Amino acid sequence: MPNPVQISGLNYAYGEGEMRRAVLRDINLSIGAGEIVLLTGPSGSGKTTLLTLIGALRAMQQGDCAVLGQQLLGATEDQRVLLRRRIGFIFQQHNLLGFLTARQNVAMSLELDPASNERDRLTLAGSMLDAVGLADRADAPPSQLSGGQRQRVAVARALANNPGLILADEPTAALDRVSGQEVVHLLRDLARSRGVPILLVTHDPRILDIADRIVEMEDGRILDDARSRA
Amino acid sequence: MNQVSRILAAAPPAPADASLARRLGNALLPARLAWRQLRAERARLWTAIAGVMFACVLVFMQLGFRSALFDSATALPQAMEGELFLLNPMTTAMFKPEQFPRVRAFQTLADPDVAQAVPIYLSFATWRNPETGVRRTIQLIGFDTETGAVAFPGLADVIEALKRPDTIAFDRKSRPEFGDVPRLLAERGPFEAQIGDRRLELVGLIEIGPSFGADGNAVLSETNFRRIMGQRRASNTDLVALRLRPGADVAAVTARLRQLLPPDVAVVSHSQLIAWERNYWESATPIGFIFAFGSLMGLVVGLVIVYQILFSDIASHIPEYATLKAMGYAHGYLRRAVMAAALTLAVLGFIPGLLTSMLLYEFVAEATFLPLEMDWDRGITVFALIFSMCAGAGLLAVRKLRDANPADMF
Repeated sequence: MPNPVQISGLNYAYGEGEMRRAVLRDINLSIGAGEIVLLTGPSGSGKTTLLTLIGALRAMQQGDCAVLGQQLLGATEDQRVLLRRRIGFIFQQHNLLGFLTARQNVAMSLELDPASNERDRLTLAGSMLDAVGLADRADAPPSQLSGGQRQRVAVARALANNPGLILADEPTAALDRVSGQEVVHLLRDLARSRGVPILLVTHDPRILDIADRIVEMEDGRILDDARSRA
Repeated sequence: MNQVSRILAAAPPAPADASLARRLGNALLPARLAWRQLRAERARLWTAIAGVMFACVLVFMQLGFRSALFDSATALPQAMEGELFLLNPMTTAMFKPEQFPRVRAFQTLADPDVAQAVPIYLSFATWRNPETGVRRTIQLIGFDTETGAVAFPGLADVIEALKRPDTIAFDRKSRPEFGDVPRLLAERGPFEAQIGDRRLELVGLIEIGPSFGADGNAVLSETNFRRIMGQRRASNTDLVALRLRPGADVAAVTARLRQLLPPDVAVVSHSQLIAWERNYWESATPIGFIFAFGSLMGLVVGLVIVYQILFSDIASHIPEYATLKAMGYAHGYLRRAVMAAALTLAVLGFIPGLLTSMLLYEFVAEATFLPLEMDWDRGITVFALIFSMCAGAGLLAVRKLRDANPADMF
């Protein structure tokens, strides 16, 4: 069984010619099954770019990057779209659709399966909301939920279709300490119980405790993996 | 999470046809997403519907007026009675006929199925307004009063009087510049009118209606026509109406006459004669263009409104759309959602637009006497135009989706 994420010799640069600016240099990183990895480092260190590359949201330029068995170097747009369906994303902003209820938002991640039906989707979405403690708010629109509740809906949405990997970018940035803690602990517990690995980019020192391993980046490189806590 | 896996495991395997229905249902998911998004912004939705409706009403009115004007322009050929007609192939419209030998009418009688051949003479002369004395050009329609090949409303009442020398009947729908003849006739009874340099007795009224070519009409017998148009060659005519024997095969007679007659006449059916006249006004004059242009303006305004609504709907949901893309929704899915929104607006705007147009048709028909009527053909045409308009707006708005780039989401 290969690692869910296996990266070696990854380089990435923005711009062309004179304007070319390298943001990732010789990245080597692997995430094992069920592993929770935190990616930290100053702004501009390239961690977000790395996350978008692993999430197949951006085309690779150079190096080797296999995610859930899909080689991303030279992957087509269609291959990348298919891979994204197997990854759960959690963003800094919840980005829930305002015109849908919490339950409908979660069901959106299930509608991608052409063989699913509406009733099963809504039932499953309901039990996902139950799992994040929002059973009673399932039919509320996002505008009637607190920030922490919205981010929990986003967690439910990311986990609903049984992803093989969770990618999260500063999920606590818009939340206060208590709800931030709640959200990441929820995320950790749900992922643990299903054996889903997590790669989480954060600046937030209050949530470092959930990590199996902390990877630090600076200036486009990964610093020595010295502070592994596993 | 065990709960979740239990639900998944508990779902019974679906039979094949249910799965097909399910797939079809899932194919409509982009449309449902579009509808939910439209419905969420009521003010925007109403604006869009009003925009489509406005375009719809404008196009309906333009097409309605166009058709009504063409109908009134073909009032003269419509009033003719006959299964077949002969005319000079170079004739473009009734108000400027090319003449052809009258003998062609008599040649057709060689065919056993032709019962009557009636030459009709068309010409213009000056009419002196009996109230003001101002002269104005009027169209004269001369024919053999014995045959009944021409049937204008009111003609039956005056047909006997028209057989007398120097008599004429006046079209009561002629433009008012010709004088209020109906009133004068009611006050004085038959009176003397001046046509060209001749005095004729005005014996009654018939009804044809002005066309683009002629502001007013008067009918008279063949003999009286010749007396006014003394300079015209009596052996030439402008139009010949043929009456066939009952049960004759019109197509077969047409083919035989085509063989029989030299190429200086065209043989056409009644509907072809009307289409001939209509075609002139539609294609050889700017009238058709003006109404087409008016319709186009309506469609452009509608397109801009629908585009604006769809564009701002997309623009205000860029992060959400990018999130959907990150979740694995293909660009095509979102494109389908936008197109579905556009086409939903087409339907939602068309229905009130159609109803409003029907009311307006009734109102305008009462006010102007133009024959405005809603028919299926026009309804379908306008729906197709509105549908294309919304699809066009959708295609323009879809480009904005490119801004929803999931890589910018982090």
